[in-house]
Amino acid sequence: MPNTEEKMKKPNYFSSVLNKRMRGWVVGGLVTMFALILLLAWLAPFGYMISTSLKTQLQISDITAPLWPAAPNQVEIEGQTYDVFTVPVGEASPAWFDVNGDEVQDPDEASLANGDYELAIVERGRESSKFVDPNDAAAGAIHWVGRWRTLSTAWRFEPQWQNYAEAWELPSRPFTFATLLYNTFAIAVLGIIGTVISCTLVAYGFSRFRIPGKGLLFGLLVSTIFLPRIVVTVPTYALFIQFGWVGTWLPLILPHFFANAYNVFWLRQYLMTIPREMDEAAMIDGAGPLQILWFVIIPQIMPAIITVALFHMVFAFRDFFEPLIYLSSRPELQPISVGVQQFNALFGQRPELIQTMALLGLILPVLIFFVAQRAFTRGIVYTGVDK
Amino acid sequence: MTKHSQILLGLLVVGSLLLAACGAAATPTPSGPVTIRWFVGLGTGQQPEQLEAQEAVVAEFNASHDDIELVLEVVNNDVASDTLSTEIAAGNAPDIVGPVGVAGSNLFTGLFLDLQPLIDSTNYDLSDYDPATVEFYRDPSGALTGLPFGVYPSFIYYNTTLFDEAGLNYPPHAVGEPYVMPDGTEVEWNYDTIREIGMLLTVDANGADATSPDFDPANIVQFGWHTQWTDPRGEATQFGAGNFVDADGNAVVPDQWADYYHWAYEGIWTDHFIPNDTYLNSDLLVQGNTFGSGHVAMVALHLWCHGCYSGTDFNLAVMPANNGVTTAKLHADTFKIMASTQHPEQAFTVLSYLLDEAANDLLLVYGAMPARFSLQGDYFTTLDAAHAQGVDWDVAVAMLGYPDNPNHEANMPNFARAVERYNEFQSLYRGTEGVDIDAELARLVADLQAIFDSAE
Amino acid sequence: MAIGERILATFKRSPKPPKSPLQRHETRWGLIFLAPWIFGFLVFILLPTLATLVFSFTDYSILHVSETRFIGLDNYTRMLSDPIVGQSLMRTLTFFVMAFPLAIFIPIGLAALLNSEHLRFRRFFTTFFYMPYMVPLVSAVLIWGGFLSPTGGWMNRLLETIGIQGPDWLRSTTWVYWSLLIVGIWGNGNAIVTTLAGMEGVPRELYEAAKMEGAGSFATFRHVTLPMISPIIFYNLTLASVGLFQYFLEPYVLFAQAGDPGGSTLFFPMYLFQNFFQFQEMAYGAALAWVLFLIILAFTAVWFALRKFWVYEAERE
Repeated sequence: MPNTEEKMKKPNYFSSVLNKRMRGWVVGGLVTMFALILLLAWLAPFGYMISTSLKTQLQISDITAPLWPAAPNQVEIEGQTYDVFTVPVGEASPAWFDVNGDEVQDPDEASLANGDYELAIVERGRESSKFVDPNDAAAGAIHWVGRWRTLSTAWRFEPQWQNYAEAWELPSRPFTFATLLYNTFAIAVLGIIGTVISCTLVAYGFSRFRIPGKGLLFGLLVSTIFLPRIVVTVPTYALFIQFGWVGTWLPLILPHFFANAYNVFWLRQYLMTIPREMDEAAMIDGAGPLQILWFVIIPQIMPAIITVALFHMVFAFRDFFEPLIYLSSRPELQPISVGVQQFNALFGQRPELIQTMALLGLILPVLIFFVAQRAFTRGIVYTGVDK
Repeated sequence: MTKHSQILLGLLVVGSLLLAACGAAATPTPSGPVTIRWFVGLGTGQQPEQLEAQEAVVAEFNASHDDIELVLEVVNNDVASDTLSTEIAAGNAPDIVGPVGVAGSNLFTGLFLDLQPLIDSTNYDLSDYDPATVEFYRDPSGALTGLPFGVYPSFIYYNTTLFDEAGLNYPPHAVGEPYVMPDGTEVEWNYDTIREIGMLLTVDANGADATSPDFDPANIVQFGWHTQWTDPRGEATQFGAGNFVDADGNAVVPDQWADYYHWAYEGIWTDHFIPNDTYLNSDLLVQGNTFGSGHVAMVALHLWCHGCYSGTDFNLAVMPANNGVTTAKLHADTFKIMASTQHPEQAFTVLSYLLDEAANDLLLVYGAMPARFSLQGDYFTTLDAAHAQGVDWDVAVAMLGYPDNPNHEANMPNFARAVERYNEFQSLYRGTEGVDIDAELARLVADLQAIFDSAE
Repeated sequence: MAIGERILATFKRSPKPPKSPLQRHETRWGLIFLAPWIFGFLVFILLPTLATLVFSFTDYSILHVSETRFIGLDNYTRMLSDPIVGQSLMRTLTFFVMAFPLAIFIPIGLAALLNSEHLRFRRFFTTFFYMPYMVPLVSAVLIWGGFLSPTGGWMNRLLETIGIQGPDWLRSTTWVYWSLLIVGIWGNGNAIVTTLAGMEGVPRELYEAAKMEGAGSFATFRHVTLPMISPIIFYNLTLASVGLFQYFLEPYVLFAQAGDPGGSTLFFPMYLFQNFFQFQEMAYGAALAWVLFLIILAFTAVWFALRKFWVYEAERE
């Protein structure tokens, strides 16, 4: 067998345990390095997001500004703020003092020596501009020949942390971002309760009971995944008006108490992997279906239930169109995904505040995902293998 | 399936069908105050300070009226007509819609209440309005669907800093005045002049202007001219009013409009003094708020945007003339009552409150000039307070005398589809270099004709 | 997953044996457990769907509700003479062909990396690769609008550092699809995480056995991992098909204010949406929606039919 021969050869290169461990370190380091580089590219838009959230609107629209949050170098002279540039003075770009403020062409006595100067621009002109020396403003204007747009300015790192305060305060609303955060999670948690209870019951029904037409029903269930959402939008909206639910959280929560295809599917697949022996033993002991569900089934499918809860949390967090149409008259009930829209108004786009809000809203779900990840992935493992 | 469960299923289906079907008629009659819903979104009204002002108006109204509860519903402009359609289709239409302009109303033609009976029964006083502005809201069937509220003339907002930097004189503040070139020669204030000084005001990252041979069109940092936030009709109407549909319902492109599209195309792709789509959607021009960006020297835009720019270095100039004719497109906003309302009297009470008591507060944040004679005096005093540097508001008043008639938002058969089609044309000439404008206009006319023909 | 078989089985089982009381008891309890879904299905799915179907045979429009008439199949025959239907369907198909392989293979590649035994800080990496999926739509659209901007956007600045002149990502009719693909893949966290979980579930013994056989890591991946996770791949494949056929919300929000380049993102579902809400032709929109539903059903039926040739299935129930 050639395979065994090959296998025999390998230890020759890394015979000692130490080598093996070193090799592990090197490979691990390389793989992690590679993943890190990939992750950096993957998260580059987040860099843009974070950077934007800390910028002024002025910087966002200045394409010569650096990528990081920064403020141009400015000085204040006699109550006025001026931009400071590095001005090179030389043969091609001469500069001289203009003490009287008059237009002077070539006063030899007050020419600046060649070199670079840090000067504040007081009057911009296309081919020549006027500057003052911030340290000696009284000396008068310095007339410089050249295009100010070609000058470089020293940007200072200056993150606008007050964007976070402003986004939190929601200046145009009588409530703060905390309300949106609360709404988002209240809608998510109530929906999670509904979806977990109903989907568990339905999945239990589909996996453990002989029901005539069960296959057909299950086929119907799965086919709802393929139904374009728009097909049901208007009639459902009409229905919820009759219920008096428009302008409340109910349309976003109550339907989840009636199970949905994705989660029933997951849970049923998971249940299929759990042997029936334990429920049968419980049944012989006289336990009813509900007791079996509570004491036997649920403890065993906990990872799958946590998965469903996490799936629903992310769903609720991303859902945009439904909260938009059902809560348009109630800004104080809207979740973040819709509330963020107020800074996207046609006449007053505030990209920095949108990103600030989105980042504030992301913190908690990302933490929850990080912590609950184990159960999440384990939940999928079992449901994934088809049986 | 067992017989039992079949019956159960059948009952469920019938039950839920009934639930949905009968609801439309059975609106519960509450004993408390009548709820009137006010939908904002088809026009302006979503900026933070506007939200605040509107909420304050609602609070005041509710405090002073026991029998009516006014509820505000604000939706962003880009999803507003979709949201309103959903609500109407589902039988949940709001009672009052606005501020809404001509174009926003066209989408819902025939769904607004005729106010005439209510005006007659309440003896509503119309003497404070110019009769012509009232007739503006009478639709072809004779119904009066709105009352004048605010008008927004358009003009040029120019950035004084950018003019100073270029060493150019400011544009004229009165119709008929010439423009003085840097060398002292006087030229007519027309679109050739716009092109000429527009190119001088267009600068690349190296500081070269658009007339310079080493100008780099790929690195422009400042533009000379733009007609902000309007569709191809709104752009072309500046060369003279017209419409894509003639009196017989046929699709046409008026001659002066064809001239405009050539002028604009050249301005974007040859002379570079008008931003193309790529620049318009960049952060440089704040995703299209070109006046607000401070990087465009002259922007043709309405009064409602007087707060769009945070700087103080701007003033107003009159629109240029084309072939001796000055046209300044006009917007007019009002509030309308939906014909489906269950409570027309109460809705009219709210409407007259918005048009009278609340008018001053709202007009100010909307940026609209009052249509009521009695309110016009205070209006510019408050605007002056908001822009302390001194803005020549007389320009705005003067431009009211040169409205576009027919209005650039006038109705067309199959309105939304026609708009969709001509907007595609705009995206084409603004976004693509090498377009044959005449061929595209011919294609546009053919497509519009088909769209008009398909309307019943 | 054996839906097809199940459906067939119910039809085959025509000669019903008489029921025992125990079985009736079981059926009753089963129906009680299914009741929430059955009720939800009837009220929130079937009823609205049928209402839309009824709509599609009328000329209903909010502009003239009271004059609504039944017009039979007119809305359906109208599609044949509506050039935009064909064009937008072609766009959806083109985008499908471009996006589908990426929607399948990139999550597999990333999941394989995240599943590598050599990778440190796996939870950290998994969280961050998943994170974009949680970014709200409005914010994501603005991020990409700025990131891909040809004037000062990060993407082209990054490309510039390696000497490439980046394209006009969002305003060019050819590049706009690739931009949408990048945006879509970035927010495809669910596919990555489900695939990863599938890989973690592959029994260790299989890898041990492969090692004994002397299989290299690529061969192991090809002959052990892939077949074992094929049910998950199948699941993602189905969801990707459904998602791509319904795709329009991202370009809709992205180009809501500026308009898209030359109508290039007028996908079929977008046209449907326009008819529904913008053009006030809800009945025509409803007919288009039903056609879309049938197309998706037909398409996924093909996936289900092809499934037995490549999807690994452990012992059947």
